[in-house]
Amino acid sequence: MALSKDELKAAILEKALTGPKAQLYVKDFYACDPEAGPRDVKNAANDLVKEGKMDFWSSGSTTMYAAKGRAKDEEHR
Amino acid sequence: MPKHDTPLLDELEKGPWPSFVTDLKRQAEKKPECFDILGQVELSYKDKITHWKHGGIVGVFGYGGGIVGRYSDVPDKFPGVAHFHTVRLNQPSSKFYSSAKLRDICNLWEKYGSGMTNMHGSTGDLVLLGTTTPNLEPLFYDLTHNLNQDLGGSGSNLRTPECCLGRARCEWGCYDTQDLCHTLTMHYQDEIHRPAFPYKFKFKFSGCPNDCVAAIARSDFAVIGTWRDDIRIDQAAVKGYIKGEFAPNAGAHSGKDWGKFDIKKEVLDLCPTECMWMEGDTLKIDNSECTRCMHCINVMPRALRPGKKQGATICVGAKAPILDGAQFATMTIPFLEINKDTEYAEVIEVIEKIWDWWMEVGKNRERVGETIQRVGLPTFLKVMEVTPLPQHIKEPRSNPYVFWQEDEVEGGFERDIREFRKRNAQ
Repeated sequence: MALSKDELKAAILEKALTGPKAQLYVKDFYACDPEAGPRDVKNAANDLVKEGKMDFWSSGSTTMYAAKGRAKDEEHR
Repeated sequence: MPKHDTPLLDELEKGPWPSFVTDLKRQAEKKPECFDILGQVELSYKDKITHWKHGGIVGVFGYGGGIVGRYSDVPDKFPGVAHFHTVRLNQPSSKFYSSAKLRDICNLWEKYGSGMTNMHGSTGDLVLLGTTTPNLEPLFYDLTHNLNQDLGGSGSNLRTPECCLGRARCEWGCYDTQDLCHTLTMHYQDEIHRPAFPYKFKFKFSGCPNDCVAAIARSDFAVIGTWRDDIRIDQAAVKGYIKGEFAPNAGAHSGKDWGKFDIKKEVLDLCPTECMWMEGDTLKIDNSECTRCMHCINVMPRALRPGKKQGATICVGAKAPILDGAQFATMTIPFLEINKDTEYAEVIEVIEKIWDWWMEVGKNRERVGETIQRVGLPTFLKVMEVTPLPQHIKEPRSNPYVFWQEDEVEGGFERDIREFRKRNAQ
C-alpha cells in the first residue's frame, strides 16, 4: 500500500466527488492506489460511509458507492 | 385507501390452489395499502409491464445490505405503495425457531410494514415485503434490541449463509452444518453487512450429497458432506429389505402399490456407476467407483450408511440463470476435513483464497463461477493450489494443443536459436 489509510480515503472521496460518474463500484476505486489490496480499498470506502461522507447505493443485487448527495433514489429519478 | 377493480387478479382466486390475491384482500382489511398492491399489480397485468422500480440509498445506518429499495412508478395512483421496500432477516441456522418468535416477527411487521411476508427467500432469509423509508430505522432498532434478530445480506455482499437440517434431525449429516453455518455467519459479519465483492457471494452447507439446500446449484461456495472410506453395510438389514421386512425409502412413496421390493431393479440397476452387485444374498460395493449419488442409501436407510471418515467436498461457482444460463458448482476440493476444534480454519483458508483472487480478477457484476468460466478452470485450480484430477475434466479434450508452463518443461523455454538452426535448417 503506497498511501496511508487517510490518504487512500481522501483519494477515494476525491474520485467520488469529482469523477464523471455519480455512482461507482468498489473496483473503480482500486486505481486510487494500485498497490493497495482490494480489502484495504473496500475497508477505506466503508469507513467513509460510516463517517457519513459517502452513501451505499444498492439495486438489491449490486451495491455501489456515491459521495453524499450525488446519488439519487429511484424515487427521485 | 380505496379498493380497486381487479378483474384480472380475481381470476387467480378461482382455482383450487391457495391464492396470493385472497391473502392480499384479507390483509387489506387491516392494512389498506394492500389494496394499492392489488391495484398496481392489476395495472401491470393490463399494461404487460412492471410498475415497480428498485434500488436506492435506502438502508439502515452502517449497513450496506439487508434492505432492498422498491418504489412505485405510478405513486399518484397508488400512494400506499409509493415506497414499498423489502427487508431481509437472517434466518436461524436450519430455520429452527419457535412459533412465539414467528409471532413476534409478524407483529413487528404489522407495526412497521405491510404485514406481507415471503417465507423464505431463495437464500433462506425471512423476507418482509413493503415498508417506507422513515420506518426503516425504528424497525431495525426493535428488531435488534427486542427480537435479537439481524438483517440478512443483499447487494454485492456475502449473502445470508444457509444450511440443511443436518445432524439435528438427519443421521446422514457428515459434519455439523448448523455450527459451521453459524460460526461463519458470525465470523463474516462485515462481509454480510457491507459490500465487499464484485457481485453477490453465497455460502450453502449440506450435510450429505442429498444436498437438501441445493448448494451445488445455488451457491458460489458449496460445502457438501461426504465420506472417504466405504459405505457401511448391515447385511442382515439388506436381507430384511429383500424379504419385505422393512419398507424401502423409509416408507416414502408408499401411497401406491409398487409391488414387492426388487433390489436389482430398484437399487443395483439404478447405480449410476454400476458399482453394486449381489454375491448370493450378500451385497457388494466397489467403493472406489461410488460417486456419492446417495440412491442406495436413500432406498435402504436401515442397511446402508455413509462411511465413518467424514468431511466435505467443496464445490465452487454455481449460479441461477441470470446472465449466461444456469451453472452448477464445479467440484474443486474432493475432501476437506471439517474440524470444529480449529474453528474451521481449513474452510476459512479456502474461502479467503477464493475471495482474494475474485476481488482482484472478477469483473463488476460477475459471479465467481462466471470468472472461472472466463479464465478457465486450470487457472482457477492453480490459484487454489489444487492438483488437477480426472474428476475435474468434463469431457475428453477436443483441442489438440497442449499449453505447457515454463516450469513444466525440462530446461525451460530458454534456447540458443543459432544452435537450433544448425540442426533444423530453415
